[in-house]
Amino acid sequence: MSVRVYLVDDHRLFLSGVKAELDDTFQVVGSAYDVDTAIEEIRGLVPDVVLVDVHMPDGGGIAVVEGVTETTPDVKFLALSVSDQAEDVIAMIRAGARGYVTKTIEPSELEEAIKRINAGDAVFSPRLAGFVLDAFAGAIPSDDDPELDQLTSREKDVLRLIARGFAYKQVARKLNISIKTVETHVSSVLRKLQLSNRHELARWASKRRIV
Amino acid sequence: MATTPTFRLARRRSERVVAGVCGGLADSLGIPAVYVRAAFITLGTIWGLGGLIYLALWLVTLDRVEDTEPAEIDPTQAVGLGLVFAGAMVMLAFMGWWPNPAVVLTAGTLAFGTAFLTDTSKAGPLAALMDPSVDRPSRIRIILGMGLLIGGLAIFTTSVGGVFEFGLVFLAVSLTGLGLVVAFGPWVRRLIHDLGEERSERVRQEERAEVAAHLHDSVLQTLALIQRSDDPGRMAMLARHQESELRDWLYGNVPLDGVDLVSTALKQTAAKVESDFQVPIDVVVVGDHPITDNTKPLIAASSEALVNAAKHSGAERISLYVEVEEDQLTVFVTDQGKGFELAQVGADRKGISDSIMSRLERAGGYAEVMSEPGEGTEVVMRVEL
Repeated sequence: MSVRVYLVDDHRLFLSGVKAELDDTFQVVGSAYDVDTAIEEIRGLVPDVVLVDVHMPDGGGIAVVEGVTETTPDVKFLALSVSDQAEDVIAMIRAGARGYVTKTIEPSELEEAIKRINAGDAVFSPRLAGFVLDAFAGAIPSDDDPELDQLTSREKDVLRLIARGFAYKQVARKLNISIKTVETHVSSVLRKLQLSNRHELARWASKRRIV
Repeated sequence: MATTPTFRLARRRSERVVAGVCGGLADSLGIPAVYVRAAFITLGTIWGLGGLIYLALWLVTLDRVEDTEPAEIDPTQAVGLGLVFAGAMVMLAFMGWWPNPAVVLTAGTLAFGTAFLTDTSKAGPLAALMDPSVDRPSRIRIILGMGLLIGGLAIFTTSVGGVFEFGLVFLAVSLTGLGLVVAFGPWVRRLIHDLGEERSERVRQEERAEVAAHLHDSVLQTLALIQRSDDPGRMAMLARHQESELRDWLYGNVPLDGVDLVSTALKQTAAKVESDFQVPIDVVVVGDHPITDNTKPLIAASSEALVNAAKHSGAERISLYVEVEEDQLTVFVTDQGKGFELAQVGADRKGISDSIMSRLERAGGYAEVMSEPGEGTEVVMRVEL
């Protein structure tokens, strides 16, 4: 059964590029260039995975994720961007996206990422792993739920290897654990990223340069 | 993020009284604007010196363009300071326009008194005293301000004559002033506003010209090069290089406080190797640190490791991962290329890993090369901070 994919990007050139790259195991059920059309169509089509650009007019990717999740919580999102702006990416993940990859990603890696998102796992590109390590750096847990506000040392190990450019498979071998365990760790980091109250995450942009 | 404020004189657009010169000066000095205004009023009583300086500053300064608020004139202060100035002028008229120390002292007392008052309260000093939300220091300031005003008036009346005479003259001056304001106020205001508009439009145009010049030098040149190139690899490289340069320009990877940062240096190194050897390098940086004597050898060693990977690994891309922890800085250069048997390295490669290691050992650091044929290579380098 093919994965039903929906694309949202205001750069038409990029949209058609992705459409052409995805092989037969994916069915592109639709695409939109703007936030409002995207929300409406995704609600109607209920695709498996939505690839959504972070930066767009009228609220950007966050508006799409939030707008859809309100009524149709089962749709999964993969954020796709050229942006280096960590706070935008972290905001997308906190809004509900299950992963983030840069647009320079190889087609085969993109396909793997979509499959992984469809299976309910999280997709961390090296850059996102770096952002997350940075955001969780420093041991200042908030009062509410300290467990959510810190990464375990194993989770940090996994993120560091991903940041160094290793695929999940290689991460698993390096740490002598199964790929499934790597996926579990990454999903747990995703959950912390989405649920943590750390105020550092909120005003992370200003904090990231402090040594 | 702490940035050192640079002393830059610009006029204010919001919360100004006339053209924002005093406000801008106060912003630059980091003191409340009202004290600067009081100082100008005081100077103004000496042959109009304050006014001349004000005009001169107005001509040489620019609008603070980052102020997005509309140009608003602060009415309370305008009225308060205007009254003080009128009062001071009346006195000078009595003294035959000769500024003697007592007059300047009086004008100063009056100006600073009003300054204290208007600084604290927009609704008027008495209303502010009644307001329970006004804090203690402000109350003290209000009382001090009222004291100064009364004191100033006392000096004035004793040095000039009876209260009655002063009252009459004051009334006359006030009425004339009021008449002028009613007659010419809107016109003057409009004139000032238009002048401000014109200036900020000019600033906007200058900014646009700067952006255009930059885009022309960088992006358009690169696009032209890409159009003329037949080699996809080279096109991708040009695009990548341009992307990272434009990103730096847009999002400002500017050194903090004029200090060069490890992240900036390593990103530049990676960009250079990337364009020299046409291999994409993914850079991920966690944390940051200023460049020190300890970190310099690590940056040089990272450059060697990147060049090494680009030349020999045959990998399609290289990862550069930098992590700054509390007490140490670690750099990983990782490739998924062909790798090699560590025991059987050629003399040239041995030379390079030797030089990486000896560089870092001299700095009290550590380096390790991990590789296996077919499994890629990873160089780990670390120094203490």
